[in-house]
Amino acid sequence: MTAKLTGLGREIWRNRVGYLFIAPGYLAFIAFMFLPLAVAIGLSFYKASFAIDQRQFVGLLQYERLFTNVKFQKALFNTIKYVLVVVPATVGLSLVISLLIHPRGIKAQSFYRGAFYLPAVAGGVILSVVWLWIFNPTFGLLNYLLGLVGIEPVLWLASTRYSFWAVSMVVLTFTLGQPIILFLAALANLNQDLLDASVVDGANNWQRTWYVTLPLLRPVILFVLATQTIGVFQVWETIYMLTEGGPSSSSTSLVFLIYQTAFIASKYGKASAIGVVLLILVAIVTLLQLRLWDRSEV
Amino acid sequence: MTTTTTTVGKSDEKAYHRGLWSSRLGRLFSYLVLTVLAIIFLMPLYWMVTGSFKLQTITMAVPPEFFPSKPTLGNWTNLFTGPWPAWRWLLNSIIVSMLTVVLVVIVAAMTGYGFAKKRFPGSNVLFFILLSTMFLPTQVMLIPLFLLVSGLHLTSTVPGTYLAMALPMLSSPFGVFLVKQFASTIPDELFDAAKLDGASEWQMFTRIAVPLLAPALAALAIFTFNLAWNYFMWHLLVATDKSMYTIPVGVSFITRVPAYGKVTQDIGLMMAGGTFGAFFMLVFFLAFQQYFVKGITLGAVKG
Repeated sequence: MTAKLTGLGREIWRNRVGYLFIAPGYLAFIAFMFLPLAVAIGLSFYKASFAIDQRQFVGLLQYERLFTNVKFQKALFNTIKYVLVVVPATVGLSLVISLLIHPRGIKAQSFYRGAFYLPAVAGGVILSVVWLWIFNPTFGLLNYLLGLVGIEPVLWLASTRYSFWAVSMVVLTFTLGQPIILFLAALANLNQDLLDASVVDGANNWQRTWYVTLPLLRPVILFVLATQTIGVFQVWETIYMLTEGGPSSSSTSLVFLIYQTAFIASKYGKASAIGVVLLILVAIVTLLQLRLWDRSEV
Repeated sequence: MTTTTTTVGKSDEKAYHRGLWSSRLGRLFSYLVLTVLAIIFLMPLYWMVTGSFKLQTITMAVPPEFFPSKPTLGNWTNLFTGPWPAWRWLLNSIIVSMLTVVLVVIVAAMTGYGFAKKRFPGSNVLFFILLSTMFLPTQVMLIPLFLLVSGLHLTSTVPGTYLAMALPMLSSPFGVFLVKQFASTIPDELFDAAKLDGASEWQMFTRIAVPLLAPALAALAIFTFNLAWNYFMWHLLVATDKSMYTIPVGVSFITRVPAYGKVTQDIGLMMAGGTFGAFFMLVFFLAFQQYFVKGITLGAVKG
């Protein structure tokens, strides 16, 4: 039977075991990742709605319209702003916390590591429920605490000035846990000889942290940077729970806009176009970060 | 630690320990900072749990009450007697998360093992394509998937809804990557020996690879359970009926719809819902913390 197959076919047949092992996984990827992706790109050239079951090919019209759409512009701008605010804050703070936790004993390490990961376990939706109360302008905990140090009450969720920062704050509480776990694991595996050598050479704490530990952590930091960026690009459930993107789109994001456009306004052609823009944006940023990564390995 | 004592002399060792911020002042300082930060980050959870036992008037009191002086179970009674099936939501979440875990672990084990232990033409390219999807925002795919699910009328039956909620998580490359990393460390000699003894490919996978992969698979299972539990957007889209909500969807429903037609939001009820929604997952985490840590660190790309 094998003799009749062509060269390529024979090659595949000879390696059938390998292909069969990856087949279920790859079929799942094709069905739930690659095909939907292709369909989404295709849909972005159509005017399509759940309400009227009809599709009309409009070419690039959806894209042209997007770039004059104020709501879209704000979502695009905010999404980039979320990434630029939350990602550095997450990486910086988790790095400092990890450096403080690392020298402590095993029990203290696992205690603090667990404590900082708990909000991530609870998830964005559950956390938003309590933050809705904490942010309340008249009887919320935050304004009360700020009042103790003489700061005037702030309309956290209902003002264009603060809604973005309120959402960012909540997102930060649950992005912190994962990097801490990764940094602690990396710190535990650091090359001890290099650290010892720096002590022998008379380096103090700050010098050693700055010149030895941080450069050694560079690959992990870049990995965390990449994964956090992807994560924050997709921020939406906190927005859904806290502000619905408002007031006047001041806290909206691309993913929240996709949700609103596709599943509230039911314009899924337009929503697909927004999705493709997000995809391109994420691809560009990821490629830039991968180049940074390559350079670090030299 | 033994290497440090041999390579570093006695006086150096002192400096070394001081270097690790173990001086009494440094230790005190770092514990202080860590504890203050931990309190800040855990405050919302504390506030939610205690809030669920506060009377409506107390939840809106200024200054706020930091410890409930007159604890009440009223909010919890409201949660479980309201016009929604709270326990059913918990059951839905458990079923959907377990189903997701079973599917993801089986598929990731086979695929990861295949990529780690089998050489075949195109394996590198195929793996790279798979890995690069880690950087795709998955929400883009939800529109076509939603059209598919509603086109197939999957949500018209209860098992169909559960399946629809679980299936898209199969396309996460995380598990495949984690298993491949771990499987690469299994020595090939084990498989060669089994082959000589006449073991089939499937037997080598189930009898040798799977038992050795068990720690990685356990970590993947625990981690996937948490991811599936919080896969909010998709569950929100798929669950068309209140009885099919998962816990986070149900909690968002209680929060966003003023309960019992009251004008003001019932904060106590919201907090009871949030605590109910968080409780299972928090206990789960505290019981399996080591697996969470392993799942996160094993799945990280080593630079």
